[in-house]
Amino acid sequence: MKKQHTGWLGKVYLALVLVILYLPIFYLVYYSFSSGKTMEKFGHFSLVHYRVLATDTRMIQIVINTAIIALLSSLIATVIGTLGALVIKRVRFRQQRQVLLSLNNVLMVSPDVLIGASFLIFFTVIGLRLGFVSVLLSHIAFSIPIVVLMVLPKLNEMSPTLADAAADLGATPWQSLSRVTLPAMTPGILVGYFMAFTYSLDDFAVTFFVTGNGFTTLSVEIYSRARQGINLEINALSTVVFLLSLALVAGYYFLSSRAGRRNRVMTVKEGDVQ
Amino acid sequence: MAHPLIEFRHIKKAYGDNVVLKDINFQLESGKFYTLLGPSGSGKTTILRIIAGFNEATSGDVIFDGQRINDVPANRRQVNTVFQDYALFPHLNVFENVAFGLRLKKVGTQEINERVERALRLVHLQGYQEREITEMSGGQQQRVAIARAIVNRPKVLMLDEALSALDYKLRKEMQTELRALQRRLGITFIFVTHDQSEALAMSDQIFVINDGLIQQSGSPVDIYDEPLNHFVADFIGESNIVPAIMKRDYLVNIGGLDFECVDAGMRPNEKVEVVLRPEDLDITSPEKGKLLVTVDTQLFRGVDYQITAHDADRHEWKINSIHKTTVGSQVGLSFDPEDIHVMRLHESEQDFDNRLESYEDEK
Repeated sequence: MKKQHTGWLGKVYLALVLVILYLPIFYLVYYSFSSGKTMEKFGHFSLVHYRVLATDTRMIQIVINTAIIALLSSLIATVIGTLGALVIKRVRFRQQRQVLLSLNNVLMVSPDVLIGASFLIFFTVIGLRLGFVSVLLSHIAFSIPIVVLMVLPKLNEMSPTLADAAADLGATPWQSLSRVTLPAMTPGILVGYFMAFTYSLDDFAVTFFVTGNGFTTLSVEIYSRARQGINLEINALSTVVFLLSLALVAGYYFLSSRAGRRNRVMTVKEGDVQ
Repeated sequence: MAHPLIEFRHIKKAYGDNVVLKDINFQLESGKFYTLLGPSGSGKTTILRIIAGFNEATSGDVIFDGQRINDVPANRRQVNTVFQDYALFPHLNVFENVAFGLRLKKVGTQEINERVERALRLVHLQGYQEREITEMSGGQQQRVAIARAIVNRPKVLMLDEALSALDYKLRKEMQTELRALQRRLGITFIFVTHDQSEALAMSDQIFVINDGLIQQSGSPVDIYDEPLNHFVADFIGESNIVPAIMKRDYLVNIGGLDFECVDAGMRPNEKVEVVLRPEDLDITSPEKGKLLVTVDTQLFRGVDYQITAHDADRHEWKINSIHKTTVGSQVGLSFDPEDIHVMRLHESEQDFDNRLESYEDEK
């Protein structure tokens, strides 16, 4: 034990940071239960906005679209990214590996607006109609580097003799991959999947460029509605999404602490779950 | 020997310009305990990996049971390996780790259960089937790794620095157990280590490897008592290695003094090196000693005292003595003719054996 108790200053600081981070969200949540039309004055407790939300079929359709895009794109990105990480790991020469990894990282740091714009140009040039497919493809594309970055460390910390041991015990290269390497790196793959999922859920900039007329996702829709003026239905929706995110995080920690009995406990590097 | 189980014929291994194995030749019999002994980077692990099939030899033939197996992939060779880091599968429990090889061979469930249990009993881990690997101590993990290998009934079990991660006491215990296990199973063990005491304690035959070459092979006693060259003498046990001149058969001159010895078969007045083991040197009074030295340091090690001293030529001597002496005093060293071991410079193992035979017949 390095420190038995943090000083009171540290506690106050921590509390302040948490308050500042969560206050806007709670403000939003608070007014979602108001009967009023604006956030200027709290009327009385009412679920009227939730009722409106429940009957807003367009909004529900958009939520479903967003979920499908997130689930599907992160799944496909996880498969591609995991294979990519395996390939990068196999590259013999250090320099080549560095180049591949840098190409991967450039996509991580380059601005979303740039990526979105380039996708728009790309899809227009090849004549792909903007809509579900274009959004899905671009989400897969920007999720792959995330998965690679999450999976690679797990792969690096795996002993290289594991594959040797599998072969030694009679496993063909395919059996070695499917029975040893992939199961052993599953925690990393899961983290990659979760990260890709959340990135896809809350992406605005890229999606904004590649959604066509008929198709839109939650973040783009909320943006366009917020521009038209305050609407407490958005508050209700945000509350639902926030609670879902909380459940997701809780579920994730439950899973990883159960897995922790087998493997070392892993922690999410970024609490990016919105 | 009638039919060697494993044979290396002129094996070379190079990574680009980096030559790891220069010319390795040996034959291993079935049912013996072999040790590949050498410092890190000597090439001993590479030899093991070539036998296992993880690495390919650049040239030369690997013969297993009369068949050339250079092109047989690792998963089809009848050898199993215990890795230095054990390489246990973290996502499987003890039972599934041990059963891994059997499951791949599609052995029936009933038989798997029996064989896994028997293998675990052999390594004293009965009842640990359901444990997770992370719940096992280092020593237990080591045993799981051994069980996982022997459950496949290989003809050869290879152990790569298998004991080096264990603490001293556990290592000593495992040495005895490994040796007993090898006798019980009756299969060939190939043990790779850099620890000479481990090699001496366990092996039927030791291959001392350095610089990509086998420096010397033989029984532990042979290698300890009759090291072929400076490297072997220095690497195996503690030793005093001093330059000397072989005046004639059975007479060697060390530092200007003539000593009777038991070596012969060299040219008169040939320059040689002489090995004297610290435990063969006895401290006596200056009058009785064959050599006069001054004591520099003395360390108590429990069993004995480790003493360093220097002679008139400022040459350092290591002495292990159960009797205490005084630092700074002048003492005599006495030893018997048999304690002197003479090494010719750059003598090959073959020439050494021939020379030994030539004068041992005379006697």
